[in-house]
Amino acid sequence: MLAVAAVLAAIALPIFGSPYLIDVGTQVLIYVMLGLGLNVVVGYAGLLDLGYAAFFAIGAYTTALLMVRYHAAFWPTLPVAALAAALSGVIIGTPTLRMRSDYLAIVTLGFGEIVRIAATNLSFTGGPEGVYGIPHPKIGAFVLRSPQALYVLGMAFVVLVLAGSYNLARSRLGRAWLAIREDEAAAQAAGIYPVYFKLMAYVLGAVFAGAAGAFFAVKLTAINPSSFTFIQSVTILMVIILGGMGSLPGVILGAAVIVILPEALRAFDQVRMFAFGIGLIVLMLVRPQGLWPSRIGQIERRVVAESEASVAAGVAADAAATTE
Amino acid sequence: MQIALQQLVNGLTVGAFYALIALGYTMVYGIIRLINFAHGDIYAVGAFLGLSLFGLLAVLHVGNPVVETLLALIVSMGATGLLGVLLYRAAYRPLLHARLSILISAIGASLTLEYGLFLIYSPSFLVYPHLFGRAGPSWGSIQVSWLQVLIFASSMVLMGALYLLVHRTKVGMAMRALAINQDAARLMGINVDRVIALTFFLGSVLAAFAGVLTGLYYSQISFLMGFLLGLKAFTAAVLGGIGNIPGAVLGGFLLGVLESLAAGYFSSRWKDVFAFAILIIILVVRPRGLLGERVVERM
Amino acid sequence: MRRVISAIVLLVLFMPFTALGAGAQGAPIKIGVPVPLSGGNAKMGNDISQAATLAVEEWNAKGGVLGRKLEIVAFDDACDAQQSVTAAHKLVDGGVVAVAGGYCSSAAIPASAVYHDAGVAFVADASSNPKLTDQGFENVFRVIGRDDQQGPYAAGFMMNTLKAKKIAIIHDNTLYAKGLADATKAALEGKPGVQVVFFDAVTPGEKDFSAVLTKVKSLSPDVTYYTGYYPEGGLIAKQFKDLGVPGKFMAGDANNDPTFISEAGPASEGVYVTSTPLPQDQSSAKSFIDRYKKRWNQDPGPYSALEYDAVNVVINAIKQSGSTDRAAIIKAITGTKNYQGATGAINFDKKGDRTSVLYITYIIKGGKFVPVGVS
Repeated sequence: MLAVAAVLAAIALPIFGSPYLIDVGTQVLIYVMLGLGLNVVVGYAGLLDLGYAAFFAIGAYTTALLMVRYHAAFWPTLPVAALAAALSGVIIGTPTLRMRSDYLAIVTLGFGEIVRIAATNLSFTGGPEGVYGIPHPKIGAFVLRSPQALYVLGMAFVVLVLAGSYNLARSRLGRAWLAIREDEAAAQAAGIYPVYFKLMAYVLGAVFAGAAGAFFAVKLTAINPSSFTFIQSVTILMVIILGGMGSLPGVILGAAVIVILPEALRAFDQVRMFAFGIGLIVLMLVRPQGLWPSRIGQIERRVVAESEASVAAGVAADAAATTE
Repeated sequence: MQIALQQLVNGLTVGAFYALIALGYTMVYGIIRLINFAHGDIYAVGAFLGLSLFGLLAVLHVGNPVVETLLALIVSMGATGLLGVLLYRAAYRPLLHARLSILISAIGASLTLEYGLFLIYSPSFLVYPHLFGRAGPSWGSIQVSWLQVLIFASSMVLMGALYLLVHRTKVGMAMRALAINQDAARLMGINVDRVIALTFFLGSVLAAFAGVLTGLYYSQISFLMGFLLGLKAFTAAVLGGIGNIPGAVLGGFLLGVLESLAAGYFSSRWKDVFAFAILIIILVVRPRGLLGERVVERM
Repeated sequence: MRRVISAIVLLVLFMPFTALGAGAQGAPIKIGVPVPLSGGNAKMGNDISQAATLAVEEWNAKGGVLGRKLEIVAFDDACDAQQSVTAAHKLVDGGVVAVAGGYCSSAAIPASAVYHDAGVAFVADASSNPKLTDQGFENVFRVIGRDDQQGPYAAGFMMNTLKAKKIAIIHDNTLYAKGLADATKAALEGKPGVQVVFFDAVTPGEKDFSAVLTKVKSLSPDVTYYTGYYPEGGLIAKQFKDLGVPGKFMAGDANNDPTFISEAGPASEGVYVTSTPLPQDQSSAKSFIDRYKKRWNQDPGPYSALEYDAVNVVINAIKQSGSTDRAAIIKAITGTKNYQGATGAINFDKKGDRTSVLYITYIIKGGKFVPVGVS
C-alpha cells in the first residue's frame, strides 16, 4: 500500500513539482543509489566501510574528466566510471578484507581520505576547485538539462540499481553473504570462502557508487573534493543504518529522511550532523534494525540484545563480587 | 644538517601530541577491542574547555600565566576524564559484544562531540590567548621554544606516570589482567566495569592535556581538530603495537618525526597521505606493530 | 508496526512542502547573498551578510523601492563550489531578482555559471580571481579589484619599497590563492637581480607549518608572501617568527582581518598585508562605518563596505530600471555611472570589472592595520 503511494509520488513529482522540489527529489535518488550500494557492502556482507565516498568520487571524477577534458559523451563514460570504481574496489579490498573488522573500518576510512586528498592536490583533477563546466548528457540531439529530465535519468539509474540489489539478495551470492553474516565460522566450514565473497560485495558496492558518481557529475555540472569527505561517507552510512541494514525499502526511506529533513526544517540543517551523531548512538542502543528492518537487521538486533544482556549480567556480577 | 635537526625538533613536538593521544586509543583497544573513534574529539573537547577556563580566569584577573595554565589544565583534564567515562557508559557499555554496532555507535559519539563543539563554541575556529612567547634555547640556527621543551618534558612525565600506574599498582594490574581475559579477571574479583571506566578516564585525561597544550602552542582550535589527529594517533598506536603502552609512545614520536621529514624533504601537501599509507602498510604487512600488540583475546 | 512508523515519517517530511508557495505581488523584493556562514571563513561571511542587511534596512526605512520592501536571502556556501552551486539554484528558484555577495572565488565562479544560465545579475563583493569576469558573462560584475592587479602591485612593493631580491611565495592551492601567487610570480619573473626562491602550497585546515617554513628558512628569503586565507595566514605568520625565518612576512588581501592579528599574536608586528583600502581608511566610508557600528555593535569587516556598495548598486539598478525584471536589472547595472559608494566611485568596464581600483599595503603596528604605501 505504502509502496504504491511512494511510486505514485515518485511519478507525480516531475510532472507537478516545482524545479526546487524536483531537485530535492533527484538528490534523494542519488542517496538511494549510494545507499543501495553501501547496503551491499555493510548490509549484505557486514563490512563496515567508512570510506565509501571514495568510489563515489572515482565515478564522478572519471565521468567529469572524460567529458570536460576529452569531450566524451556521457553514455560511454558510464562503463569507464563503473570499471574505474570496480578496479579501485579490487585494489583497496584485496589487501584489507582479511583484516579484523575494526581495522577494516579504519583502513577504509584512510583510503577514503587518501582519495580525497589526492583529488585536492593533483592539478590533473582540478585541485581544490575540482572540475566544473561539465556538459549535460545528450540523447541524440535532446539535451538533458531541465530538472525533470535529470530526475527521470536518475530514476532510470535507481530502477536498475534497485533491480540489481533485489536480484543479488536472492542469488547464490546473496545467500552466501547471509550465511557469512549469521555465522562466519559455520559458513567457512560449509565451503564458503569469506574473503572471496566479501571482495565481491565490496566491488559490487563500488560499481553502484561509481554509477551514482557519474550521474552526480552531470547533474551538478561541478564537482570538487568537498563532496567526497568522510562526512559524506558517514551520511551514506546513516541512510542505511536509519532505514535498516540490508533492507531495500529501508534504504529508500532512509535516503528520503536524510535529504528532506534538512531541507524541510532549516533549523534542522544547523544541527544536522549533531543529530546524526546522537541518532546513530540511539539507534544502535534502541533499534539497531532501523526503521524498516529486514532479515539482516534482525540479526543485528539479536546480536545487540545478546550483548546488552551479557554486559548487564557482567556489571551485576562486578557489583556483587567486588573485592578490592 | 641544521635543517634536518630543526625538522627533528618539529617532529618530536608533533610526536608528543600524537603519543599522548595514541595512549588513549591503545589502552581502550587493548581491553575491549574498540577503536574509540570519539577519542580524537575528546582531545578537542579538552582544548575547548581549556579555552573557556582561560577566559574565566582572565575575567577573575588571576594574572600569572603559569598559575592560569595549571588551573586550566587540571580542571579541563578532570572534566574531560569524566566525559570519557560518560561516553563509555552511555554509548559503548551495552554494545561491548556487538562488534558492528559498537563501531557505529563510536562514529555517532564522534560526530556528537564534534558538532556539539560546533554548536556550542564556533562554526569556524577560535584563538587561544598568547600566554607564552617564543623565547627558548637555540643551538646555531635551530629554534626551540621553552613551550616546546615543556610539551616534550611534561609528556614524558605523564607517560612515565601512566606506565608506573599500569605496571606497579594494583589497579594497573587489574587493567593488565583485563587485557588478557575479561572473564577470568572477573572471576578473580576484579570489577571489570570500573576498570574499563578507569581506562577511559586516564586516556581522556591525557588527551585533554594534549588539547590544552595544542591551544597554547598553535593558538588555533577548531571543532574538527580531533578528527585528523585522532586518525594519525591511532596510526601511531598501531605502529608501535596496539595495546602496548611503550609502543604507543614510540609510535607517536616516530610518526611525528617521519611525517616532519617527509613534509620537509618531499612535500607537505602529501603529509597526511603519507601517514595513512603508513597505517595501511603496517596493518597489511605487520599488524602487530613494532613492539608487539597486547590485546584481549576474545571479545 | 514498521509501516506505521514509515507512514508517520513520510507525513512529517512532506507537510512542510505544502507551505512552499510562490510570492504575491506586494511581496518583498528578494536579493540573494551567498556567503560562507560555516567553516574557517565564517566571520567574513557574517560581516558581509550584516552589511547587506544594513543596506536593505536603510532602504526599507525610506519606504523600500518601487513601493515594495526589500529582503536579503542569505545562504551558506561554505566557501565550497558544490554548496555554492546548490545555494545558487536555491536562490534562483526562490525568486531572487539579483545576487550580491560571495567571498571565495572558488565558490563564486561555478555559481556564476548558474546565475548566468538563469539570467540573474551577480555582483561580487570579494571574489578577486580574474576568471570570474574573464568568462565573459554579461550578468557578472564585481566591486572589488582583480588579482592580476594585486599581484603586480605586491611585486612592485616588494621590489621597490622593501628592496627584496629573494622572494618566497606560499599559497594554498585554492583558485584565489594560486591565482594571486601566479600573478605575483609572473610580475617578478625576469626582473634583474630578483629571484623567486620558493613557490609551493600548504594545505588549508592544517595547523603545523613548521616543515614548510623550515624549508623556506634555509633559503634565506628577503620577503615571504603568503597568498592564502587568514585562518592559516595568522598561524603561518606566528610560526614564521617562532622558527626565526629571516626577512619580512607579507600576506595577501584575504588576511586583512583583525582575526589574523589575534591569531599571530605578537608575531604580527611588522607584517605587511596587501589589500584594497579598508573601510577605516576611506573617507567615503566614514558614515557607513558609523551606521554599521550603530546597527551591529561591532566594527565592519574588511569586505562589509564593498558588500554594502554591491547591494546598493543592485537596488539602484532596480530603481533606475523601474522594474524587478532580472534582465532589466542586469542592463541597469551595466549602465551604472559613477555611483558614489562607501568605497568610492563605481563604474563597470565591459567585462564587469570595476574601473580604477586602488591597492595599498598595510603594516601591522600595535595590533592594528596601518597604511604604508599607495599604488
